[in-house]
Amino acid sequence: MSMDANGFIQTHDLTKTYSTGSVEVVALREVSLSVGQGCFVGVTGTSGSGKSTLMNLLGGLDTPTSGSISVEGRLISELSNAELALFRRNTVGMIFQSFNLVPSYSALENVTLPLLFAGVAKSRRRRQAAELLESVGLGARSSHRPSELSGGEQQRVAIARALVNRPRILLADEPTGNLDSKTSRQIVQLLADLRAAQGLTIVMISHEEAMLREFADEIVYLQDGAVRSLETLRPTP
Amino acid sequence: MRTPDYIEQAWANLWKKKLRTFLTTCGVVIGIGALVTMFAFGQGVQRNIKKQFEELELFNYITASVSTRRHPGQAEFDPDGVPMDHRPADANERAEPLDAQALREIMRIPGVEAAFPEMKFPAQVQLGDDEQFTLVQVLSADAANSGLIALRAGEPYATDEPNEVIISDMMLRRLDLREPESAIGKQLDIRTLVLDLSLGNLMRIAFLRGGQSLPISNRTYSFTIVGVAERMGMSGPLPIRSDVMIPPGPAEGMKKLELTSIWDFFQPSDKPGTYSTVSVKVASPSDIPAVEQKLHERGLRTFALIDQMDQMQTAFIIMDVFLLAVGMIGITVASLGIVNTMVMSILERYREIGIMKAVGATNGDVQRIFFYESGMIGLLGGVFGLLLARVVSFVINQVINGVASGQGVPFIHYFDFSWWLCLAAILFSILVSLLAGVYPTLRAARVDPVVALRHD
Repeated sequence: MSMDANGFIQTHDLTKTYSTGSVEVVALREVSLSVGQGCFVGVTGTSGSGKSTLMNLLGGLDTPTSGSISVEGRLISELSNAELALFRRNTVGMIFQSFNLVPSYSALENVTLPLLFAGVAKSRRRRQAAELLESVGLGARSSHRPSELSGGEQQRVAIARALVNRPRILLADEPTGNLDSKTSRQIVQLLADLRAAQGLTIVMISHEEAMLREFADEIVYLQDGAVRSLETLRPTP
Repeated sequence: MRTPDYIEQAWANLWKKKLRTFLTTCGVVIGIGALVTMFAFGQGVQRNIKKQFEELELFNYITASVSTRRHPGQAEFDPDGVPMDHRPADANERAEPLDAQALREIMRIPGVEAAFPEMKFPAQVQLGDDEQFTLVQVLSADAANSGLIALRAGEPYATDEPNEVIISDMMLRRLDLREPESAIGKQLDIRTLVLDLSLGNLMRIAFLRGGQSLPISNRTYSFTIVGVAERMGMSGPLPIRSDVMIPPGPAEGMKKLELTSIWDFFQPSDKPGTYSTVSVKVASPSDIPAVEQKLHERGLRTFALIDQMDQMQTAFIIMDVFLLAVGMIGITVASLGIVNTMVMSILERYREIGIMKAVGATNGDVQRIFFYESGMIGLLGGVFGLLLARVVSFVINQVINGVASGQGVPFIHYFDFSWWLCLAAILFSILVSLLAGVYPTLRAARVDPVVALRHD
């Protein structure tokens, strides 16, 4: 990640404040970042440093108080609610620490969810979802409910779901936070493989700096809502 | 999102919470059931009334009467208690008298099937030992043969002259005869009441107290029963409303208390052989306005029951509104149940809504998913509510008819489920459910995905 103004994902003075009653909390303070296409960027920092806020803003789940975000030259921070929904549907895929699978749906049904909103016909939804589950190594478990799957398996379902609409960006908010170290490595390895295979741009939040150092091209250190430092580990592809 | 997907999603979500869906839907079923039952009852009552009116051909009659001469501004006295549609008052114009000639002319008005005077007199009729008091109607042979009266047995008298009589089915029973055929050819004595103001009679009243205290005596005339009329309405054939009908010929020769209408009792007609009121039968209710117009031109006031239809319609609408208002209580309670269920469902699926939004659902997608759910509750409630209404009304119908048949009342369908009522009930149920879903679904649409995804 760099300050380069021509990045694939670009933020400029991105600021987010929350007002809880009379107290105003600044979650993100004038963050300007640039992520190149195909980059694997790690974001780390203590809790409350604004990592998740940054992720929600990049994913179009939240809107900034001030500053701007652009993706592929498009100003995301200016989009309407409906346009943001389309952005989330088509351009980004998100995975979370708590997986965020619908408990009453099978693995396959969870993966079909984004296709449902994209208006894809049922048979095609199921075929596409099955292919993706196969590609994350869960072809045999497609009919299982999340509660019948291990943490690693649930996160694989979540990855399949995040990628089923073929987004160009994958945002991962502490995807290994609930997993043991062995499974964590497998999940991050899967992300890295997918990035290599599909040219995905990945932004991943993690507490585990060692793992970020192993897989990410760049690491952003956040502190109190601001960028403390940037570290480039290897040249972006 | 595609429509079949919305339906599938909604159904799957409702199915997941079977008990809650069942209970909520039950509320709608009962609400719609009560509403439809009430409305169907209202429709049934209206249909039965209209049908009876049509069967009795009550809409085919005009009562025409001579404009009563009176002082300007004097309140109209209406002997029958029915409102009269009086012609534009031309106070000086004398109406032509209603006599036999006038009747013949009225009969020639296009659309008129029969016209007969409202001429009745009180009498005792006697057959063997059975004696009954009644009002005898004088009915011309023309009118008797016009199809006005349906006969169960015999034939109407052919001319106005013979001492022949037609009795009603009701009179047949009152005279203790069973079969209509058995009455034909039997002799019926009509004993008239005569106002006897002869000196001898007055003396008798004055000096012989007790017994007869009115200056009235009797005369007896013999008739042969030639026909038995079908029973229609409460008593004799309508609109004659008399149980005994004789031709004008013998009637003229009879000494009797003349009584063409109660009004005439107080104000005797100025000329013998004229009537104050005639009934006019038209072929079809659609002929009424034209015939009324013709009668107005003759200087007659008219009254047709069909003119009262507007008032009847108003009464029916008031009845419908009342029944609907009562029925709406159930629907209101049911819709609160839907609101409650939907709010609960949204709270339970708060995180799921966040997930849906994170993977690309628009606010509209989320709102519609829940809208389809409440709409489906409405559809189910409407369909089963309709079924409930049909079952309940069938049972009520059977019970009432079961009780009523013991008292000789024919089988009546008290409820009327027209196809549009069924369709409207289902559409209304869906509409109410969608309305009940407006607030919850708006809440669902406005869920903040960031908050929802953090929600446990």
